[in-house]
Amino acid sequence: MSEQGKVTIGRLATGVPGLDTVLGGGLPEFSFNIIAGAPGTGKTTLAHQIMFANATPERPALYFTVLGEPSLKMLRYQQQFDFFDAAKINGAVRFINLSQVLLDNDLSAVFDAIITEVEASSPGIVLVDSFRTVVRKAQTGASTEMELQSFIQRLALTLTSWQATTFLIGEYSDSEVYDNPVFTVADGLLYLSQNTERNSIVRKMQITKLRGQASVPGLHTFRIDKSGLQVFPRTFGLDGKRGKSSKRPRLSTGVPALDALMGGGIPEGASLLIAGPSGTGKSVLATQFIAEGVRQGEPGIVAIFEERPEEYARRAKSFGFDLETPQKEGLLEVLYLRPLDLSVDETLFEILEAVKRMGAKRVVIDSLAGFEMALAPAFRQDFRESLYRMIGALTRVGVTVLSTVEVQETFTDLVFSPHAISFLTDAIIRMRYVEIDGQLRRILVVVKMRGGYHSKDICEYEITSDGLTLGARLEGYQGLVTGVPTRSEQS
Amino acid sequence: MRQTAPAAQDLAQRLLALEASVDNLPDVYAASSTFEKLHLSLVKLIGVTGFQALLVRALALAKTEVAWLAAVEVEADGTLRGFEENARKQSAEETIQGEVTLLSQLLGLLITFIGADLTLRLLKQIWSELPSENNFGAEEIS
Repeated sequence: MSEQGKVTIGRLATGVPGLDTVLGGGLPEFSFNIIAGAPGTGKTTLAHQIMFANATPERPALYFTVLGEPSLKMLRYQQQFDFFDAAKINGAVRFINLSQVLLDNDLSAVFDAIITEVEASSPGIVLVDSFRTVVRKAQTGASTEMELQSFIQRLALTLTSWQATTFLIGEYSDSEVYDNPVFTVADGLLYLSQNTERNSIVRKMQITKLRGQASVPGLHTFRIDKSGLQVFPRTFGLDGKRGKSSKRPRLSTGVPALDALMGGGIPEGASLLIAGPSGTGKSVLATQFIAEGVRQGEPGIVAIFEERPEEYARRAKSFGFDLETPQKEGLLEVLYLRPLDLSVDETLFEILEAVKRMGAKRVVIDSLAGFEMALAPAFRQDFRESLYRMIGALTRVGVTVLSTVEVQETFTDLVFSPHAISFLTDAIIRMRYVEIDGQLRRILVVVKMRGGYHSKDICEYEITSDGLTLGARLEGYQGLVTGVPTRSEQS
Repeated sequence: MRQTAPAAQDLAQRLLALEASVDNLPDVYAASSTFEKLHLSLVKLIGVTGFQALLVRALALAKTEVAWLAAVEVEADGTLRGFEENARKQSAEETIQGEVTLLSQLLGLLITFIGADLTLRLLKQIWSELPSENNFGAEEIS
């Protein structure tokens, strides 16, 4: 069959951010779908969001309620969401209660009631909530499994013939999905779940089945807030190529002497890791980097996980950096990402959206340890993979990323990160304490500059009210990287 | 005991007046007709059980304010039993007080559960002549 002769399946935009991407471009028009999941997973909210996005006076949505959540309560709770449009009720969106029909009659009466309404209003969207109760009625009554299958098939066929896109909403556990006549007939199956781990809850969605087009496989996290559902595709940020030319301009860190150690600064679009123990000045250097960008008119983003933005700005001020004015001027955004139950995809989404919004050139992630703690426990297990995605996605859009990571100081070796992630970054600066002449002093060294020259000098630095000031190479000592150097014999 | 809110009372009076003006109905028939129209429209939306539950609650609240409503009951299908018969036995003033109280309790419950905006939108679909403005603090209906 030639490509020309093939039918083109129209796609409905769901109105749910991120879901169309997961579905492979939207919902196939006239499809017969199931939204399944345990109670409280967001099935009804998802259904309402899709309904309000697509219902029009010409092609209204019919929402049949059947012994599930009472319509009165549904209207009470769903109107709290931004997508709920009261002006559409009983016009573009019509609720029809079939509970009594189901209680008093058999499946054919339910079928007749649905079809009568469909024929009267020619809807574009039909929803049945909860379809599980319809199936239960069939199972407890005289209807056989064949009759149930026949009912579902007739319903699917008729609704598709009337050019309606249908959603059956039901409470099903994932084990019930298999060998179930409802799921056999369905064109699409959207399965929602929420998993609890320790005190965190992570909501996930899977497109278990979708006829006619390729959806993005796997589990995608989603969040429900006042706007409704927002889905974070698990492939988010992985598309596109990293366009790096060999001659990239260098970005100043804000510390000229450090730029010199790095062969002129950080290559644009590279990722730099600042590693060091607590109190060595990682955040100071990160702030200096972002402040230098602002000074040069380059918009920046600071993603923080531990402190609140105002605290972060206050601390920056004590080192001589004003983060408040550039925020007001639109040159800087300090993103405080809600801790403890974040997904990687959500974090990435927030940062990338901010990058797009600001046209940011520089991004600071302060810190990776905070980021890890902010994630729901389930995601901490895959932290390395998460960082790989995060850093890859950010550098792919051309921003220069500076991340800080806290390492535990040892006096025998030089650790770059507790996550074995140093291979993910293009450059590494290691800060550490050394004991010299009865003082705890600070040194730093550029450990890695992928594809470029960097100085091997180990330099002492100070943190003052003007930020980080780099001194000259610390000569006359051996074993500086161990933290307990000895004087060289020559000195 | 929960007294009917003045705004709900005002809305109830408007609905009854609108209904009475359609065919110059006497008060008692206008009230019955109002409840029937609400029944017809809301049963489709919230089901017989949903409407019946609301009306039972509204009647229970109204009975504490108007004595003659004690003889009125709500049927399983969400219709009123004994409303017209008992209303006719009252003085004109008592009849109106009972009608307004019961209707305003029902409207008050709807407003409590689904909000003034949506309640008024639903009512306007039955009585298009109903003014768009409301006194419940909700936005004006367009």
